[in-house]
Amino acid sequence: MPAMAEKIISPFFDIKNSHTIDVYEKHGGYQAIQDVLRNKTPQDVIDAVLQANLRGLGGAGFPAGRKWSFIPKDSPKPKYLVVNADESEPGTFKDRYIMDNYTHGLFEGIMLAAYAIGCHKAFIYIRGEYIRQAENLVEQRDAARARGYLGKGIFGTDYDLDIVVHRGAGAYICGEETALLESLEGKKGWPRMKPPFPAIEGAFKCPTIVNNVETLSYVPSIMTKGPEWFANIGSERNGGMRLYSVSGLVKKPGVYELPLGTPLREIIYEHAGGLLDGRELKAVIPGGSSSPILTPDEIDVKMDYDSLAAIGSMLGSAGIIVMDETVDIVRSLYVVTRFYHHESCGQCTPCREGTGWAEKILKRILDGDGVPQDIKTLESIGNHIIGNTICPLGDAASMPLQSYLKKFRHEFEARVASKNGTGQVVEETVEDWN
Amino acid sequence: MLKITIDGIEIEVEKGTTVIQAAEQSGIEIPRYCYHPGLSIVGVCRICLVEIERMPKLQVACYTPVGDGMVVHTNTPKVLRERQAVLEFLLVNHPLDCPVCDQAGECWLQNFYMQHGLHDSRMLENKVKKHKAQAIGTNVMLDSERCILCSRCVRFCDEISQTHELGIFNRGDHAELMPYPGTELDNKYSANTIDICPVGALTDRDFRFRTRVWYLSETKSICPGCSQGCNIYVHHNDKRDYKADGIRVSRLKPRYNPDVNQWWLCDAGRYGFTSVDAASRLQQPLRKGGDDLHETTWQDAIQEVSTKMQTIVETHGPESIGVILSPRMTNEGLFMAKRLFQDGFGVRRIACHLSPLQPGDEDDFLVKADKNPNTAGANLLGIENCSITDLLDAAKNKRIRVLYICEHDLELGFSEDEIAAALKELELIVFQGPNENSVARRADYILPAAAFVEKDGTFTNYAKRVQRIHQAVKPLGQARPDWMIFRSFARQLGLSSPFFDAGDVFAAIRESIPAFRELSYEKLGDFGVGLEQKKTVTEMEASVV
Amino acid sequence: MSKVTFSPEAKNQFEEILSRYPEKRAAMLPTLYLAEKEFGYISPEVEVYIGELLEVPPVKVREVLTFYTLFASKPRGKYHFQICRGLSCDLRGCTKIIEHLAGKLDLKSEETSTDMKYTLTEVECLGACETAPMMQVNEDYQGHLTPVKIDKMLKDLK
Repeated sequence: MPAMAEKIISPFFDIKNSHTIDVYEKHGGYQAIQDVLRNKTPQDVIDAVLQANLRGLGGAGFPAGRKWSFIPKDSPKPKYLVVNADESEPGTFKDRYIMDNYTHGLFEGIMLAAYAIGCHKAFIYIRGEYIRQAENLVEQRDAARARGYLGKGIFGTDYDLDIVVHRGAGAYICGEETALLESLEGKKGWPRMKPPFPAIEGAFKCPTIVNNVETLSYVPSIMTKGPEWFANIGSERNGGMRLYSVSGLVKKPGVYELPLGTPLREIIYEHAGGLLDGRELKAVIPGGSSSPILTPDEIDVKMDYDSLAAIGSMLGSAGIIVMDETVDIVRSLYVVTRFYHHESCGQCTPCREGTGWAEKILKRILDGDGVPQDIKTLESIGNHIIGNTICPLGDAASMPLQSYLKKFRHEFEARVASKNGTGQVVEETVEDWN
Repeated sequence: MLKITIDGIEIEVEKGTTVIQAAEQSGIEIPRYCYHPGLSIVGVCRICLVEIERMPKLQVACYTPVGDGMVVHTNTPKVLRERQAVLEFLLVNHPLDCPVCDQAGECWLQNFYMQHGLHDSRMLENKVKKHKAQAIGTNVMLDSERCILCSRCVRFCDEISQTHELGIFNRGDHAELMPYPGTELDNKYSANTIDICPVGALTDRDFRFRTRVWYLSETKSICPGCSQGCNIYVHHNDKRDYKADGIRVSRLKPRYNPDVNQWWLCDAGRYGFTSVDAASRLQQPLRKGGDDLHETTWQDAIQEVSTKMQTIVETHGPESIGVILSPRMTNEGLFMAKRLFQDGFGVRRIACHLSPLQPGDEDDFLVKADKNPNTAGANLLGIENCSITDLLDAAKNKRIRVLYICEHDLELGFSEDEIAAALKELELIVFQGPNENSVARRADYILPAAAFVEKDGTFTNYAKRVQRIHQAVKPLGQARPDWMIFRSFARQLGLSSPFFDAGDVFAAIRESIPAFRELSYEKLGDFGVGLEQKKTVTEMEASVV
Repeated sequence: MSKVTFSPEAKNQFEEILSRYPEKRAAMLPTLYLAEKEFGYISPEVEVYIGELLEVPPVKVREVLTFYTLFASKPRGKYHFQICRGLSCDLRGCTKIIEHLAGKLDLKSEETSTDMKYTLTEVECLGACETAPMMQVNEDYQGHLTPVKIDKMLKDLK
């Protein structure tokens, strides 16, 4: 078990007015950026973040320092930093806590990242539903401007930096970085094909880095306490600690800051208080609704990117959703598939048609009119969306279809009677083409 | 140059070539919907997914640039299975409209399903319903349920016509293509969206329910609507003409020519073929007797007109004959006319170009103000040495006694009074053309000419590109190509006329007109030859649409 | 030319919005929010007006309007109940809560009451799963919903 470390972000959840500059500074805030601006080069920051093994905490887990190093140093175009605050992965709410309670920690992370890549304007793309959070961001941004922490020549140096708060308008797909950029540019959230990657051609055709709120929020502590400190917490190649969102049928749903690699069992039973009414665990989703579902015998897995990938799941946004013996797994898959159908942007064929089709089949099964071939059809839909789409939403819709049907097949089989609505026995006439 | 191996065939391609283009160069056609060589690449349909060695996932061939040494497989079991899956997904909500859909027979959903799909449906759900059969413009009908959201039409309106009428609203499987509410798809190129729509979502209102496309034959030609000379296909119904209500030419379609019109055709040209099968077509040689026109034979007509003209020449001299040819005639027709009238009758005054009272519209894309297909040809052949105004003036003042008019409707350039004043003094008016008009009705002899789809020949466009037209259908009734009519006259006058087809005439043009010296029908090929550039377009540039 | 126009105050706000971005079109989303506040909802006239302001064809404005869920393309009630139907809320009984609220309001999802007081919408995960079942009423999140809590909330709303 990784060493217990002092926590960085979560203490601010319980401090009064933690969203203000004074409280943040009282707890050591805004030291890192001042030190970096005066004494360190942009490459120093990139190297530190690389060494710290900070991985993208929005879902993809890409090493943050490596992403920053893709920015072409000799490009004459302006560089942009775009903060992904679109948090829409079901089961995930950690960024909301950061924006409410660690506002200036996020800002300082933005400043450090901006300096590292040579950016003078950062956009925070925040999901449209987070209205109070957006208001707070604007208010605190204005406060920072008033102090000279943002604007022309921040902190008395000659480095200019400003932050624009940009509200989304209700689209999960805009959490995907290229769809986010399209939305920022005033268009529909239709993901782009890659290459070109945003680091080369991102916002307004300029080199752009898109980072999650939480990822940036750990950068100040990496600079103050050093990258080795961060890397030593967590597991190999999965440095530091992170915020785990726990919800579902547990006693204490909430956000828990723990080292990368904490066992899932510990998070559920020690930190989140275990299951409601002492019920038995039936299934857990480890990393937001996109991640392949886990069965009770799998919960000793370490919650880091590599360990979960090794057992065929993913850490993703670390949105843990706990299901107990009373839960109808068939309905859960329906709810999740309905979500992806609702959020599919519609651009490419497999996801657009497949998610709608799968939702209809699952609804029919829930209504008692399922037939045996439905299971094969659902599996086939998942198998032929995944890997064939422009963006990972297709994969995200496929992984629940594949994992629920694999691990809980018996529940689905029991549900699809061999009778249709009229009571007649229907034979499986469709060729077994999968 | 980069090396790429596709399905075992190694070729070299230019840097920047995509895999789908490289495949075409190898003779391999990867199925596609959203990719179109004339539009931006979006990679949304996903049917062109192929396997590329050392890349873990399948890649879209339309967007992936060729890398040196790349090895591509377009027909492994995995590729074929995913292609089949894309077709199954497309057919989930696609309505079963084939029996009532015009696209049947040229529908890419049908074709690719037969080639790459052939799955049995296992779709038990209700399909998503959208708007059906909406006339979204003068020429275009939209059925949103059939739409596979390839976005070709949207990109056409954004990138080619740049009129931005169309959008895709909503998201997911409720995404729907339509014009901005309250507006229509009514730019000058609207019907091109019909060509590029792979399925029956956008269909031609003019062509709607006219013929099943498998009854159509296809002939290459040139649009005669203006001096751009856009390359076209004439689609004509030979196989089921008894059901066609006398409409032999069903529709025109653009034909790819990289140097003239690329893949496009303006609406005016596309729908400008109605005159071919109209009731106004002249089908018999006619002679005025009293106030009526009576049918006669070619033999009689040619003989009588020749005799009358010769008599007038003998009595009043060749200056008494005025000839108005037309830049709507082919080079062959013009050449034979000039040869006949100059060598045969000694005519001095030939006019050709009519300045219209209403100037033609023009844009910076395909539409030219000169609404004639062969003005440049007429100029290169040295046809005109006076103006129509001069001739009408001469006619009014009795300085000429005969007017031989080809094809023009003089009312386009002159007032009724001016025309009446000129024509009433003449001893002989001969009209030769495919359709009746105000001049024809005043003529003493009417000689029916073949329409542009009824003859072989060449036009020269505004940029001096000489291009071939091919005969698609037989001339209506007794109509004959202009060049053939003038050959009959020539023979009547005893002029040597060793011309047995339009090609023979073109050979003669080549011998007497220096600009045409290096041309031949073979050299003109499918894309024509630009006299200014002196090069032919290679077939490598032709893309499969 | 559109028939609607911003008030001078809204125009000033629009100019400030424009100044945040290197390209006009990027002001699309904040301008739509501003227009919604100004005009109550985004009507076709407003679409055309925004197109003129941002120098984009109106079809591009409408594409954005219909793609996202938060913009009002028709008038909404004074209180907009956006009730979450995400997985975590579903696990904690949101179906019954939705039934209860819909029953009390006598509305189905996407409907507005005839007196223009309430609009009900079922929405996807709002990112407040630790308070499931929950909903958003206009700008605020209300969590740990029970039928009793909902009844009290409705009574308190004027």
